[in-house]
Amino acid sequence: MSALATALAITRRDLRRVRRQPSRLLGGIARPFVWLLLVATGYNSIAQLPSGVPYREFVYPGVLVMACLFGGALTAVSTVYDREFGMLRLMLASPAGPGAVLLGRAISATVMGVTQALVVLAAAPFIVDVTPLQLPLVVGALVVASAVSAVLGLLVASRLRSVENFAGVINVLLFPLLFLSGALYPAARLPRPLALFAAANPVTHMVELVRRAVGQATEFSLGMNVAVLAGTSLVAFTLAVALFDPESRLIGRPRPARAPAAP
Amino acid sequence: MSTPAIEAAGLGRDYGEVRALEALDLVVPSGALVGLLGPNGAGKTTAMLLLATLLAPGRGTARVFGHDVVGARRAARRRLGLVFQEPTVDPFLTVRENLEFAAGMAGVARRDTRAAVDGALERMGLGPRAHQLARELSGGWRRLADIARATLHAPALLILDEPTVGLDPEHRERLWGFLDTERRTHGTAVLFSTHYLDEAEPADRVLLLAKGRVVADGTPRELLAPFGDAVLEVDGPGAAAFAAALEADGLATLVVPSEGAVRIGLAGRKEHVLERAASAAGLTRSVLRAPTLEDAYFARTGARVAA
Repeated sequence: MSALATALAITRRDLRRVRRQPSRLLGGIARPFVWLLLVATGYNSIAQLPSGVPYREFVYPGVLVMACLFGGALTAVSTVYDREFGMLRLMLASPAGPGAVLLGRAISATVMGVTQALVVLAAAPFIVDVTPLQLPLVVGALVVASAVSAVLGLLVASRLRSVENFAGVINVLLFPLLFLSGALYPAARLPRPLALFAAANPVTHMVELVRRAVGQATEFSLGMNVAVLAGTSLVAFTLAVALFDPESRLIGRPRPARAPAAP
Repeated sequence: MSTPAIEAAGLGRDYGEVRALEALDLVVPSGALVGLLGPNGAGKTTAMLLLATLLAPGRGTARVFGHDVVGARRAARRRLGLVFQEPTVDPFLTVRENLEFAAGMAGVARRDTRAAVDGALERMGLGPRAHQLARELSGGWRRLADIARATLHAPALLILDEPTVGLDPEHRERLWGFLDTERRTHGTAVLFSTHYLDEAEPADRVLLLAKGRVVADGTPRELLAPFGDAVLEVDGPGAAAFAAALEADGLATLVVPSEGAVRIGLAGRKEHVLERAASAAGLTRSVLRAPTLEDAYFARTGARVAA
């Protein structure tokens, strides 16, 4: 109970910070709309997809996932900010432990990702038909996509010590994950090594969940989508907890002398 | 006898090749006020982070109210309130929101949070600023909010790393008054570090650290004893020779060279020594005063003890 209370306290704090810095949220919302308006509109007139689906409809689930991915993962910058400016020590000193701290951060990052994606989803009537029955499925898929993205962001943030480093590293990671996910073009005809990467790429399975929800064709089974996303979340969260507080891992073990990691 | 707030034996930590803290032996009883003094790099912060369970010990053991800082650190943390050198107040939250957040971190139940926050605001005089964003507060009020944050779960042990840095005299007085009240009314033990050596004089016990080692440990009275009942502080090119002459004549208990002055502990005959100082060559200033912890600090971190 105490761990959950601690996690929710972190979530409340993060969301209060966002409320006082709305530009963070607005910037995240602008990114997918730029893609929809500038890229999807342009390609819609020239792209011929094998399925016959207009490009704008095809790319829409991918753009929704883009909102989740960047919204969820980039929110982890708060963790790096707190490490850089000292607040993290307060959190690490909590009796609830680093797992609760990261859970709180994951919840707030998920809320950020879903919020940004829901704004993009509001534009659905202009792009693709989403029936009232499909809507809860789409929202559920966006929650899952945001949660997995949040955990990936936390894994990246778990050892980084400056906001500048985080921005550089996360963008280098997120763009290949997005481009090799079938979000922006079908991944089926990619060269074999890239196709294998796409099959293991969690973003591929986020996009497939959304495609499935809006009734578009998918390459993998629902079971495969769920298994990859659940496995990714579990491994990434476990790793993030282990890396997050290096002193915690050292406790109780004999250590060689080495430079400390400031908590 | 109640369980001590802190029991440390041979506690130490290295950072790479640097021995940050050699071996700290320390017992802090409940309700005690204990100060760690020393220059930058002496090992004060390392000692506090080890006791706060935020650093893994490289050697030795430590217990907080009987809870091992390695094996039972969550239980230890429940008894701790921590104030770090760096502020841990979120500038984008109001003072009240910061305290609500800290209550969540400390494991205060949601139903108890409001009362805990109200109490902390009142104790530190922060009530009128409760709805102000922390970034709009002066440094002093922000620090007091930080201390309110550390105390809202009524910890039995407070570890304060240089809590008065940047505070003006009014805020310092408010802080020490608050800590005194906490000790008297709740029996809270306080371990603190400070650069303001006069702040350590009311402490029950003081440890002087230098280069990771404890160079003196005792009550302020014990640490001041080698100086006798007075210190003569002299400046000028002839200060060292004057001190040596007093030593040779058996009038000095201790000679401590420090920044720009020589401090001389006197073994009686103060009037005679003052007369000699008045007529000595090369002295630009001579002041007779009571010994302070600053004298003990300079003595233990590079003194020449008179034979």
